[in-house]
Amino acid sequence: MLHERPRQLRQLKAALQALEAEIMYAHTPLSEAALHISKQITLPLSKLFEQFAAKLQVGETSVQQAWEESLQEVWGTTALKQGELEIMRQFGETLGQYDRHTQQKQIALALVHLEREEADALERQARYEKMAKSLGVLAGLLLVILLI
Amino acid sequence: MQAIWDILPKTIAAILRQQPPSWHEHVEEIRIRVLRPLEIIVKGTAQFLPYEVTREDGMHLLNKLSQYSIYAIEEELKRGFITIQGGHRVGLAGKVVTEGGSVKAIHHVTSFNIRIAKQKIGIAEPLVPYVYDGRWHNTMIIGSPQTGKTTLLRDAARMISTGILARHIPSQKVGIVDERSEIAGCVKGIPQFQLGNRVDVLDACPKAEGMMMMIRSMSPDVLIVDEIGRSEDGAAILEAVNAGVCIWTTVHGRNRKDVLQRPTLRPIMEQGVFERFVELTNERGPGTVRCITDASGAVLYERTVKSG
Repeated sequence: MLHERPRQLRQLKAALQALEAEIMYAHTPLSEAALHISKQITLPLSKLFEQFAAKLQVGETSVQQAWEESLQEVWGTTALKQGELEIMRQFGETLGQYDRHTQQKQIALALVHLEREEADALERQARYEKMAKSLGVLAGLLLVILLI
Repeated sequence: MQAIWDILPKTIAAILRQQPPSWHEHVEEIRIRVLRPLEIIVKGTAQFLPYEVTREDGMHLLNKLSQYSIYAIEEELKRGFITIQGGHRVGLAGKVVTEGGSVKAIHHVTSFNIRIAKQKIGIAEPLVPYVYDGRWHNTMIIGSPQTGKTTLLRDAARMISTGILARHIPSQKVGIVDERSEIAGCVKGIPQFQLGNRVDVLDACPKAEGMMMMIRSMSPDVLIVDEIGRSEDGAAILEAVNAGVCIWTTVHGRNRKDVLQRPTLRPIMEQGVFERFVELTNERGPGTVRCITDASGAVLYERTVKSG
């Protein structure tokens, strides 16, 4: 779980960067772009984009709603935390509503926030790994003492 | 029509489905204005339907048109219309956002005008004896707005690209520079009208530049351009004709005299570039040919007006 979160955060960042390219250079509509992205990343995050694309294709909804629902359906299966969820939620509110440059700014903003979370995740990982390591050594030592 | 049903909000589609079935064939425009009654124009007459368009309907329609991605229709918002599948065109109006004095986009789109496109296959064929003798002549179609210039030009493009077997006219390569996306009605570069297999289209491309691009890259036999008027268009046409490419175009005006007086078109008119002038009128419905003249102004065909 500990090394999963930074990995998934990295993927999420890569996905947003891919989305940026789709928007800025190819002007691809969201549903198509999301489908492309879902094929570039692995489970469980690929599911998020897949669901989102499917919901948009059906229609009869708003982008924000489709994004929110997809987040809720997929979030439980990821190693990601509340902080990231908030960032992605806020990001969803801006999706598809603006011109290209504003969209790019929103993506950049989400990326900055995600980077902060990633730093936090890496720090936690390092800290807990160290603690787990020393706990292991100490437990071994205790076992040796008990056996003697 | 399916393409139109696909974009309409359910509420509006339900109202339209209550119309008599024959409605489909004659409807020209569906006008959707937020907070105002739904309007349809059938055979030139306006009708209001008992339904007031809501803000949500407007949002829904814009979402569908943009596929939920405003950034993807930025150019279209700047131009004020979107071409959808089937070549239908949706005109937009609302609050305009400007930047440095030029239109940047339409924000809060509140009026939609869905213009139903209808291709009239075969309407250019009666012209053939006048505009073809061993080769296609450079032809200019002259008419006021709504006289069916573009419809005629579109059919001419189809006719030239497919050729006419019965008259032993071989098919030719046709290049269309479609600045307003009206001739071919492209969606993602694919023409939505039936234009034959030998048509290449530069969609939404500025005319003068597009004509040069076509000549350089696609070696067309015939170039089709809509509504020339600016002086650079004239220069590009001269260039094309000198390169041995035949030109078909349309121009706003009532008759040949009107066009001769346009200062921007004078150079090409004086050089006698165009060999045939087809004047259109809508006296008997759009697309009525009033007369056809040659470069010197001699009348080759004139519609006989029945008295009484």
